Amino acid sequence: MKPLSEQSKRRVNWLNDGLWPWLCAACVALSLLMLAALLTLLATRGLGHFWPATLEEVTLTSGDIVIGQPVRETPLPLNAGMERLYFTGNRDINGANWRWIAVDDISAQTTPNDLIRLERTPWGDFIGRLVAVESDGQRLTGQAAWDYITTALAQPASQQGSSDLLLITADGHALRQPLSNVSHFQAPNAMSWGQKVTAWGQNVWRFLSEGPRAANTGGGVWPAIFGTVLMVILMSVIVTPFGVLAAIYLNEIAHQNRLTHLVRIGVRNLAGVPSIVYGVFGLGVFVYGIGGSIDNWFFSDELPSPTFGTGGLLWASLTLALLTLPVVIVATEEGLARIPDAQREGAVALGATRLEMLTRVVLPMATPAMLTGVILAVARAAGEVAPLMLVGVAKLAPQMPLDGEFPYLHLERKFMHLGYHLFDTAFHGEDVQAAIPLVYATALLLVLIVLVLNLTAIFLRHYLRRQRGNEC
Amino acid sequence: MKGNGLWLRKKYPLRLALLGTLFMVAQLAWGQPTTTAPSLPSGTLGAVGSDTMAGLVLRWGEALTARHPEISLQFQAGGSASAPTALIAGTTRLGPMSRPMSDSEHQQFVDRYGYPPLELRVARDALVVVVHRHNPLEALTRQQVDAIFSTGLTCGADHAIRRWEELLEAQLWPYGQIALHGRNLASGTHGLFQQQALCSGQFRVDISEHPGSSAVVAAVGESPNAIGYAGYNHLSPMVKALRLTDQQGRDVAPTESSIQRGEYPLSRDLYLYVNLPPGESLPAAEQAFIELITSAEGQQIIRASGFVPLPPSDPNAQQPW
Amino acid sequence: MTSPRLPRVYLPLRQLQDRIATGLITAGGIGVLLAILAIGVFLAWETLPLLALGDTFALSKLSPLAWGTLKAAIAAMLFATPIALGAAIYSALFMSARLRSRLKPALELMEAVPGVVVGFIAGLVLAPWVERHLASTLLLIVWLPFSAILAGALWHLAAARLRRRLPHSWAGLWLIPWLVCMVAVALWLAPWLEHHLLGGDLRRLLDQQYGMDYATRNALIVGIAMGFAVIPSIYALAEDALADIPPTLMEGAQALGASRWQALWKVALPTAGPGIFSAVMIGAGRAVGETMIVLMASGNTALFSASPFEGLRSLSAAIAIELPEASPGGLTYHLLILAALSLFLFTFLVNTLAEVVRQRLRRRYHRLGGRP
Repeated sequence: MKPLSEQSKRRVNWLNDGLWPWLCAACVALSLLMLAALLTLLATRGLGHFWPATLEEVTLTSGDIVIGQPVRETPLPLNAGMERLYFTGNRDINGANWRWIAVDDISAQTTPNDLIRLERTPWGDFIGRLVAVESDGQRLTGQAAWDYITTALAQPASQQGSSDLLLITADGHALRQPLSNVSHFQAPNAMSWGQKVTAWGQNVWRFLSEGPRAANTGGGVWPAIFGTVLMVILMSVIVTPFGVLAAIYLNEIAHQNRLTHLVRIGVRNLAGVPSIVYGVFGLGVFVYGIGGSIDNWFFSDELPSPTFGTGGLLWASLTLALLTLPVVIVATEEGLARIPDAQREGAVALGATRLEMLTRVVLPMATPAMLTGVILAVARAAGEVAPLMLVGVAKLAPQMPLDGEFPYLHLERKFMHLGYHLFDTAFHGEDVQAAIPLVYATALLLVLIVLVLNLTAIFLRHYLRRQRGNEC
Repeated sequence: MKGNGLWLRKKYPLRLALLGTLFMVAQLAWGQPTTTAPSLPSGTLGAVGSDTMAGLVLRWGEALTARHPEISLQFQAGGSASAPTALIAGTTRLGPMSRPMSDSEHQQFVDRYGYPPLELRVARDALVVVVHRHNPLEALTRQQVDAIFSTGLTCGADHAIRRWEELLEAQLWPYGQIALHGRNLASGTHGLFQQQALCSGQFRVDISEHPGSSAVVAAVGESPNAIGYAGYNHLSPMVKALRLTDQQGRDVAPTESSIQRGEYPLSRDLYLYVNLPPGESLPAAEQAFIELITSAEGQQIIRASGFVPLPPSDPNAQQPW
Repeated sequence: MTSPRLPRVYLPLRQLQDRIATGLITAGGIGVLLAILAIGVFLAWETLPLLALGDTFALSKLSPLAWGTLKAAIAAMLFATPIALGAAIYSALFMSARLRSRLKPALELMEAVPGVVVGFIAGLVLAPWVERHLASTLLLIVWLPFSAILAGALWHLAAARLRRRLPHSWAGLWLIPWLVCMVAVALWLAPWLEHHLLGGDLRRLLDQQYGMDYATRNALIVGIAMGFAVIPSIYALAEDALADIPPTLMEGAQALGASRWQALWKVALPTAGPGIFSAVMIGAGRAVGETMIVLMASGNTALFSASPFEGLRSLSAAIAIELPEASPGGLTYHLLILAALSLFLFTFLVNTLAEVVRQRLRRRYHRLGGRP
């Protein structure tokens, strides 16, 4: 064999050592890129929805005038150009909230300052112009009308008195709108930047603090946030003691033989069992089994309509507790296993019983690990939807599971959940086009909650490792 | 170690667990199911029933609370089948249903109370067949719908339709195979479409079964080769609703008026069943609810929810309750 | 600490307390473990009534769903495995330690993104986009690896100063803008290629030449979305297996003249092979059981088809939408429980296999003198 020349050896080496690692590096970059793209998409769409959007007045080549908020553009089929979707509101007049306009049909496009947008019930948004306000026989126009509406809307509904808005749409259709049905009034084109930021902040706050309106097509997600948090708290209350108990048993009390080893593997594996399987178990055992029996014993006068024998807060929390049990057990066990045996032996040598050794030496040292486990469990539970669909989440629960009525916490009630709310508005809502911005906002909120919980766990673990490093 | 000892004396998990158990016991001892009509405070109104009508009933509830701030409506959407059960059990007096009560359900009610439930038709709904908004197709006959969606051709078509070329000229809509979209097995829409449009035949297996009507509309609106069916109240400008040929051979578009007159082939009525003993009057809250439904505001809410009000000539609509 | 001057009288009480507590913990622990095991027992028990109907009935109902589940999992694994393993190899062997300590939490965050959010993005954003840009998507799959290699080649040709500025150990980070540019180039190029090479419309070509149907929500979409969801779990385990290789092994190989890549290929991969295998298995287990992503992105079509452009229906999605409406004790109810049982058994077996393999590996590292 001829010895390889220096040149070709370098080339082989170059191929060997040079390019494959770049593919691997690109894999990392791609993963991060996908994550960043997802989060950016959620953040821009989710937060952008609350920005007071500019209203456009569009004149078509046919002479029609349309006022609306441009939403998106898509290509027409058969490469016939682009078309733009406008949110035009006025469903009571036009029969629809949306209008597609081919970009080629637009002859003029302006953004006049006097365009207004009203939120009202039951017809949703109005977009058009304000002509006048009629209040107790008085007729106000121009700036006086605007001031009147602003002050009237700031007051509670009972003190508004009866006044009507005289409105006109883009195509000249006149409309008389009672002010009592209007919940929000805006002239986005006339707003300054500062006013828009304020309005944006108010919109975000309304989204977070209000309940859903008009059968989930508008309004906020407060009950869903509340339901998610309450369910997760109940779940951690259930899962923490049991998970810790099982971990202590496995690590401190059980004989470390083959059986314990197998059980440990089994517990670890349960963390990988699909969540929907837990949902099926929850439905079959908790809801139909235990819940059905409770109904038979305690609520037999209510049958056949179930009290506990249908999905509810309690069963959802229990199911998720079971689902996250392996997470807590594994994390706690890891914490326990890290504690040097010398600590335990020292305690026993000083005359402590096993209980004292556990409660005063071992458990305090394992606390951060337990906390990490619980936070991870909470993060997993907060994002889990599939099992909840089987055991008690509701599309709309007008009654909160926690209220002033005795016994205050109503474990049998159905509750709303952010993740399910997202699924429901995206797939079951009435107008999917209108719901999508809300879905983005909900998704962003859910991701933020879960990410914050996970970050807490990560920092806690980091802190814990560092502390352990110091101890050793 | 001292700090850690302090943590332990608090025994958080234990206390919390105890608290949880206490709540459980409290539930069992005093918990009252929230829909029990007799024990309700006079201001709370319970209704149990159809999933389809959830949006409508909840909007009525919102309007009711706006009218009478002391009254609030709770609605459990458990599907139409849950309404008769709850009515018979007496847990509610109002049962919205998207289909009429079956004979056996009716009989059970009569057996339990000795009088029939008051049946009110409150609105109309329809199923629409939708295609992409730019699709030039305008109308379909029942046979064509069946030939597109089903395997058995129960309605009498002679061959299955699989490609757009079979319905339209290839230059107009060159999108090849027809992609089918519909609802999942458990939904009432699935069953109704199967029964009315497919002559109870079987759906093709390659239909996409979506978990909601708006998912169907969204999917059809995004892909030019799609066709699907959905509830009328989910129609959006993303899609075009096809006209259907009725028995007299006329193409009927699903518009408010054609559905209202019952001319559109796939229309159905929505019902509200009320447990009202003959000769008695309703409790105040229920009375207010029914007044709201019949009022102009209530009728407007029907339209705002995407359903169709009953025609004014309908004896039910004007009946003084 | 406990005071050693406790009066003797209390000792029996303390010991009694200890006994009681030990008993309670034992009972509680065993109880919890039994409760967990009860899942399997319950599912098996509830499927018994199906036996009366014979095997063929259940099989005919569930086999399209089982196929759909497998198809979705295979698609996801095809997408996720190369990326996750590539990322693991890079971060375990090439990456700077500082970047690595930041990257691992970042990818853990990726795992935390709830399935329902991924499913929503996949079903309502990605699927329509891919349908409109099918050629671009397919081009991207080929183009991105190529652009990575191109970046490597350019880097080797670049001036030494630039190379120091952009070290390979940080490539995972600074390649991101490069990839963004490359994606933009591909998107700009694709319509042109589609027009000139494929005669205008790829979908029409697929339909007319190969009779391939294209569904908006299909296995390709599910593969990408679910791949995104399982990348972090495969990555984390594979990275652990690679990073825990006793350093002496790699140092020995390099001392004998192997390049870093040769050391990886000939020494690290065979040693960590079982760990990587178990990582892939656990990823597959996750992919099989994931519900919301499949439900929202798959189109839910009960088809027997291997085409990546056709829809599918999985066991988990069927359970999620049909079970709440199924009356307990009915036929559908038992069938869906059988579906749940098969998911349970499958994931349990796969995970056990992975766990056993991983423990073997840990012992092997221990013998080789690495970190425990």
